[in-house]
Amino acid sequence: MSIASDLIRGHTDTIILARLMGSDNYGYEINKSIQERTGGKYELKEATLYTAFRRLEQAGCIASYWGNEQTGARRRYYSITESGRDTYKTLMAEWKSAKGMIDQLIQVEENE
Amino acid sequence: METKLRRYVEGLFEDTKPTRKAIELKEEMIQNLEDKYKDLLAEGKTPEAAFNIAIAGIGDVGTLIRQLEQGFRSEPEQELFEKARRKSALLTAVAVMIYILSVLPIIIFEVIGSGGAEFIGIPIFIVMAAAATGLLIYNHMTKPKYFKEEDTMVEEFREWQSDTKDQKQMRGAISSALWSLILVLYFVISFTTGAWYITWVIFIVGGLVESLISIFSTMRHNGR
Repeated sequence: MSIASDLIRGHTDTIILARLMGSDNYGYEINKSIQERTGGKYELKEATLYTAFRRLEQAGCIASYWGNEQTGARRRYYSITESGRDTYKTLMAEWKSAKGMIDQLIQVEENE
Repeated sequence: METKLRRYVEGLFEDTKPTRKAIELKEEMIQNLEDKYKDLLAEGKTPEAAFNIAIAGIGDVGTLIRQLEQGFRSEPEQELFEKARRKSALLTAVAVMIYILSVLPIIIFEVIGSGGAEFIGIPIFIVMAAAATGLLIYNHMTKPKYFKEEDTMVEEFREWQSDTKDQKQMRGAISSALWSLILVLYFVISFTTGAWYITWVIFIVGGLVESLISIFSTMRHNGR
């Protein structure tokens, strides 16, 4: 699991951007959907999540705003920007090509 | 238990300057942790277990907070800022040096002077003190602000400042009154007694008195 965690950690930005492609969302909800998608096997540390938010916001990939909940605490929502969508597509393409190459590199053919 | 979460997160931010970014991060963390905590309770966890799981998920926020304090400055910005900071430190150091050296002419002319010559030291002293003060004011006015204008956070600082602002103003007023008094005392005593060789001690005593006042006011403030 630790190797998988390290691999996933390298793609934190892509994962967060992917979660925002559909709709705006806030920290806990994003982390929860990550957890659900991995069947509870993977969850971002909050520090990692917020660091990624700040980094992506600084880079202009996402923007944040405070929601106006009627009851309880106000949530900080994040939305993806146009440049963020482009970044996501680039990162996704990079991952697909890397994944293809790694698959080729670690495969052992039966007749070899 | 939710206030316990808030207290825990506030503990993490204890040594952090309450900038807008830091407060926003803190509120965001607290709010997300509270959501997580409620979800864990709904799953049937005990309040203690839910609290511990929520806290365990935080991870190392130390690095994040440090980055916040540096304002996520880009490299060239950081360099410019460092340069400006060094220049400011140099100006301050030079000004303080001039202040210290400014009593020298008085002592020197007092020792070598005869007749009216011992009074030449005083105008030189005043000119040096004025130069040093000018340097300090120039430095203060040209020094770059640590945070950009939008981040100086008038509102968020208000609570934090209300405590210290009055105190600072009070201390500033006391200090300027004290030093004016010391200067007047110095000249009056010196002219009446003619003991120029020793009366400069008044300035050292003055510095001491100011430090004492500052210590007492801090102690009283903390004791409140």
